[in-house]
Amino acid sequence: MSSILKLENLKVRFSTHRGQLEAVRGVDLDVQAGTSIGIVGESGSGKTVMSRAAMGLLTGSNVTREGRVTFDGKVLSDMSRDEVRNEFGTGMAMIFQDPMTALNPVRRIGSQLQESLRIRLGMSRKEAKVRSIELLTLVRIPEPKQMLRKFPSQLSGGMRQRIMIAIAISCNPKLLFADEPTTALDVTVQAQILELLTDLRQKLNMTMVLVTHDLGVVAGNTDYVAVMYAGEIVEQAPTAELFANMKMPYTEALFKSIPNIQMKAGSRLPVIEGRLPDPTDRPPGCGFAARCNYAQDKCFSDHPELEKAKDGHLYRCWFPLGESIQRKVS
Amino acid sequence: MTNHAHLRKDSDVLLRVEDLVVEFKVPGNKVVNAVSSVSFDVKEGETLAVVGESGCGKTTLGKALLQIQKPKSGTVRFSDNELTALSKKELREARTSIQMIFQDPISSLDPRMTVRQIVEEPLWIWSKGDENERLEKVKTLLNNVGLDPELVLDRKSYEFSGGQCQRISIARSLALEPNMLICDEPVSALDVSIQAQILNLLNDMKDRYGLTLIFISHDLSVVKAISTRIMVMYLGKVCEIGTTESIYSKPAHHYTAALISSVPVPDPTHKLERTPITGEPPSPVDPPSGCRFRTRCPAATELCATEEPMLREVSDGQFVACHYPRA
Amino acid sequence: MRKLWSTFNLPTKISVVWVALVFFFVLTGSFLPLPDPTEFDPDASGVGLFSSGHLLGTDINGYDLLSNVINGARISILIALISVGVGGLIGSAIGIGSAYVRGKVDLVVNLFFNILLSIPNLVLGLALVAILATSVDPSIPIDPNRRVIIIIFSLTVVIIPILGRIARGATLSWVNREFIVAARSMGMKDRHIIFKHIVPNVLPAIYAVIFLAIGVVIVAEGALSLLGVGIIDGVSWGAMIGRVAGDFTYAPQSMYVPVIVLALTVIAFNQIGDHLRSQLDSREGKI
Repeated sequence: MSSILKLENLKVRFSTHRGQLEAVRGVDLDVQAGTSIGIVGESGSGKTVMSRAAMGLLTGSNVTREGRVTFDGKVLSDMSRDEVRNEFGTGMAMIFQDPMTALNPVRRIGSQLQESLRIRLGMSRKEAKVRSIELLTLVRIPEPKQMLRKFPSQLSGGMRQRIMIAIAISCNPKLLFADEPTTALDVTVQAQILELLTDLRQKLNMTMVLVTHDLGVVAGNTDYVAVMYAGEIVEQAPTAELFANMKMPYTEALFKSIPNIQMKAGSRLPVIEGRLPDPTDRPPGCGFAARCNYAQDKCFSDHPELEKAKDGHLYRCWFPLGESIQRKVS
Repeated sequence: MTNHAHLRKDSDVLLRVEDLVVEFKVPGNKVVNAVSSVSFDVKEGETLAVVGESGCGKTTLGKALLQIQKPKSGTVRFSDNELTALSKKELREARTSIQMIFQDPISSLDPRMTVRQIVEEPLWIWSKGDENERLEKVKTLLNNVGLDPELVLDRKSYEFSGGQCQRISIARSLALEPNMLICDEPVSALDVSIQAQILNLLNDMKDRYGLTLIFISHDLSVVKAISTRIMVMYLGKVCEIGTTESIYSKPAHHYTAALISSVPVPDPTHKLERTPITGEPPSPVDPPSGCRFRTRCPAATELCATEEPMLREVSDGQFVACHYPRA
Repeated sequence: MRKLWSTFNLPTKISVVWVALVFFFVLTGSFLPLPDPTEFDPDASGVGLFSSGHLLGTDINGYDLLSNVINGARISILIALISVGVGGLIGSAIGIGSAYVRGKVDLVVNLFFNILLSIPNLVLGLALVAILATSVDPSIPIDPNRRVIIIIFSLTVVIIPILGRIARGATLSWVNREFIVAARSMGMKDRHIIFKHIVPNVLPAIYAVIFLAIGVVIVAEGALSLLGVGIIDGVSWGAMIGRVAGDFTYAPQSMYVPVIVLALTVIAFNQIGDHLRSQLDSREGKI
């Protein structure tokens, strides 16, 4: 198993009129080829910024990126923008939450599909057309030949998402970033798309990074999960291990507060009180301390580092759950 | 042949809707059959969840109940008032007993008004009390929804987060102490951990004000947490209606079963025994004949294409519109 | 107000100062120690800028240019303010009302606006003035005051669809927001909804365009007067320009002075309006 994507101490800062906004604060991640990793977090956790920064998609004069991004042995963070762009399509690809903004509304589906094939893989028009039909069949679109002539506005959300997936995998990328790919879809369509992604991953031997806020989605579709909060990874483990032995109170609180279809009907949900800390003015210590049921004095003053437990389970907490330490429940 | 088998005759039925039809015209001279002859009732104190995916008509239904969207035909009987037959003036008055909360918390509030003005507005419209009394009432309402009046009264809505805006909306909707609250996807636009806060709040308000709730949502996990009764809609029709427990434990309609088993469960050991459902929902402009779900249903036969199934009882209080309901 | 000033960039600030200056002179002009605009001095015919007694020089007949420009400002600004004020009010009212009510009314109003807008401003103004200001007996000239009223009326008609369309568009973008639906569901009367909820939100879009409209009218009036159908007896800026057309080579400042003053004023109004509009766009983007 080799590492296909490695993030080392990745930091992303935005300069805003309210001061420096630290969106991502030193993230280390090592993604093994052929696996599927889920990045879970709510809005403001930094998960989207991190995935875009890893792909080199974050540009702008007010953005500062630090740290190393290594993809397939190449150090992306040292490469120029043009060189990084060469990796898109054949190396890395991304699918987004809103397929409508990823598809050009005034171009036919066929033309959008074929663009990548002809530019990146140098196919002729005929070859590209044949390959497009193959791709559409792969993403389970009925009547692929007719689909080539259609415009995005004629399609439903689920269809558009499939097209976006088809475009993303058209050049056989090694790594696929999926940024909330099913959040905007109906639940039955969501299930179909997730199953499709798993199927494609196995068929094409792709690695997948699935960014989402939905613990349900990661539970069924990933090998490994990283939980982000306030710009850092606060827990990381193989999926089964994470759900079985949550160590960071945030993960536990998140899990408990989500309405879960397996609960008894009409049960009252425990809530996470309070709000995310202001990203331009983060307090010292643990970012979750103010909202944590188990916080102690140390949590407010000292910032915890990422600790390693057995089985590749990492956590960032002074008083992790499941350990026999005296805890003050406030 | 009426589709009213599931309607109850008890005296504490607060809302009774019969054969409601709502249609829209769209460009190209086509007609969208958003709500096609839907009937249901809600008893005092219940929380009825209206569940379905996009295009099923649930949001249109909510608006049609309040007559904000005028139905083409059908009756909406709320507490002895036939809402479809009221004059404009009478309707304005009747609306004070039914209030609505919307999906987008930010656009539910006028960006130019302060929180105080927003929550006070219903009281102002109906001239309830003088200015001081209204202010006191506003403060009480804000406290009830978990906001500190001193901190929020004079601020504008865009200074608040989604969850807080939703609380302000709820405070506003309770100002006139309505009997019924229609919630149209009130937590869908909120962060996951905030959803729990708002759902708990709605339940608390229900107890405090003796409300009856209609909760419209596409999220089956959320609905399980808050509802006592569930109505499943597909393409403008009611598929199934029953108590929350029976619907989740023994869904009789194939669509309901597919919906439930498609919801991702945050438990990696859970085996996804997904009821196979293929394809996309057909267009509401040209729905399938007979049973509208038949094009995606694993149990469909020729009968389903020719004859539309009516709602009939399959177990105590559970009704399904299907020729071959699941055992 | 101070907060508003601080958000202005430099060109906008300069524009505000210029407009304030113009208004100042309009109001105080008659009290200032300047030569009488109607008095002509043949000895001082065609003197250049900064000559003694004539700060901006004189034209071929010896009329002092500075006083005439100030005098002209009165008429030009007056016409602009009234036309835009009345036209804006009427146009906005129609636009907001029609967008709120929708349906057939809106279709008709939209058609009406579009028809009027398809006629170039100047042509429309010209046509209206020509029809209304033509006396039956060509030897009897129209009373100048009546002329002014006719011009104001014509330009008001030009402005109505311009502002009407803006108001209608802005209203359409607000009328389906959920807080309007909420207001209805609370039992709020339509007229209250319009005045309490829609108008305050639509107003910023309107007053951004008001400034641009003032510029439009100043130019339109100037053009009409230049062509000889506006203010004939040479009192407005446009009339000043028209009057000296032939004497340009002899006393070029008699042309430059009114042209530059008119241009600067229009540019200033445009700049203010433009800036307000861009501020509005960025603010709307956040909501």
